[in-house]
Amino acid sequence: MAEHLAGRVALITGAGRGMGVAHARRLAADGAIIAVNDLTASPELTSLAQELGGVTAVGDVSDPTTVARVVATVQESVGPIRILVANHAYMSMAPLTEDDEVDWWRVVDTNLGGTFQLIQAVLPGMRAHGGGRIVVIASEWGVTGWPGATAYAASKAGLISLTKTLGRELAPEGIVVNAIAPGVIDTPQLLVDAGAAGVSLTEMHTTYASGIPLGRIGSPQEVAAAVSLLADHRLGSMVGQVVQVNGGSTRGRA
Amino acid sequence: MVRFVNADPAARVPGVAVVTGSASGIGAAIAAELASLGWRVGGLDLTASPRCDTSVVVDVTDAAAVAAAVATVTGELGPIDAAVSVAGHYAMAPISEITLEQWTRMLRVHLGGLRNLSKSVLPGMLDRGTGSIVAITSELAVGGGDGDVHYAAAKGAIIGFVRSLAAEVASRGVRVNAVAPGPTDTPLLAPDSPWRAAEYLDTLPIRRLGAPEEVARCVAWLIEEGTFCVGEVLNPNAGAVI
Repeated sequence: MAEHLAGRVALITGAGRGMGVAHARRLAADGAIIAVNDLTASPELTSLAQELGGVTAVGDVSDPTTVARVVATVQESVGPIRILVANHAYMSMAPLTEDDEVDWWRVVDTNLGGTFQLIQAVLPGMRAHGGGRIVVIASEWGVTGWPGATAYAASKAGLISLTKTLGRELAPEGIVVNAIAPGVIDTPQLLVDAGAAGVSLTEMHTTYASGIPLGRIGSPQEVAAAVSLLADHRLGSMVGQVVQVNGGSTRGRA
Repeated sequence: MVRFVNADPAARVPGVAVVTGSASGIGAAIAAELASLGWRVGGLDLTASPRCDTSVVVDVTDAAAVAAAVATVTGELGPIDAAVSVAGHYAMAPISEITLEQWTRMLRVHLGGLRNLSKSVLPGMLDRGTGSIVAITSELAVGGGDGDVHYAAAKGAIIGFVRSLAAEVASRGVRVNAVAPGPTDTPLLAPDSPWRAAEYLDTLPIRRLGAPEEVARCVAWLIEEGTFCVGEVLNPNAGAVI
């Protein structure tokens, strides 16, 4: 399987930390030329790009102008983007009656709007090269909903519907769109959750694991493995689908 | 115990797999895919599976015979790490024309084949605290279809079985998942099948039938890399059901 993505440029958004790092490393191991995006420049992002022999593509994907610049810059430096992994996300939680309207829309406009804009921006290049692969990172909460997460769950559910629609719309052109809905994964977000719950990180892991049939939380590499499957140009019959990587917590159709 | 599994292809360890329906079509493609990844494969089918390391001729509806076949594979190749239930047959008929015999056979082959295979491999997997079972279901189990009552009922039952067994054995190290192909280019589809007609293919987002190799890729992925997938259904269905 190794190196089957050789020569193909993959843009991974939100790759400064957490799951995006794992996606970038995995697609690099599969042979892809990697462009890593994050909201701001950081030593971590730069060193990741260097480690993988790729490039950085810094910018806020919720801003259409920035998205166009990010995509253009990547394509000028390393070539047409054949694989897009829309992994970036912003999350804030609050009961709906107490939420901040600006922050609420920032969640939606970053997660859902940013992905929409990214897909618009990479389409001309994919069309010119006869196809591509788009992997949208949704969330278990986009399938199940979650108290206090109206904006986040709405944005992620919207991504699932966007994926289903674009799966139908773009497949005839060889542009294959699928989504992944990760469950609880060992990322820096869990530290935030632990802080909010007033417990230690270890206690947070145990609490989450107790709700998962497999009895543990997932690793970023396990989500990256699904990214690798869906980025594979040799697999074209899976389209408009949602792969749930959650240790068995949902066991239902997304 | 918290065990992280690094889904790193370089770290994967091929083992022993048993595949039913391995003589042709999707089953043969799965056996070939696993073999190409270094797995040793025992094939169970009504006819010989010449490309498998061990081939046992067996009817998957016969529980005792499946258990004996699994014992044979274990004896020749070693403890079974992965089991794939593929054996099946397709038939269309309006509800009023489905005989009890046809209905029963459909359930015994698809659901019974999965039940018999799972019962045969699970004791060993649970003893060793590791294993992966993958069932082949169908997009018709998800979306249904005109004239597909008994096939869709049997394939839908597989999904319920998979999700329940997954919840039952996940904490003991065994993952159970499914793959639901859409119309696939196999001998199961007759040359004059409506699923091969141009008018139908034009309705599919990818404008073609799926290939058995694409289904096989999904199965192999679930076994080797889908280490956080439990009770999940992958849908390489050409976009027939989204």
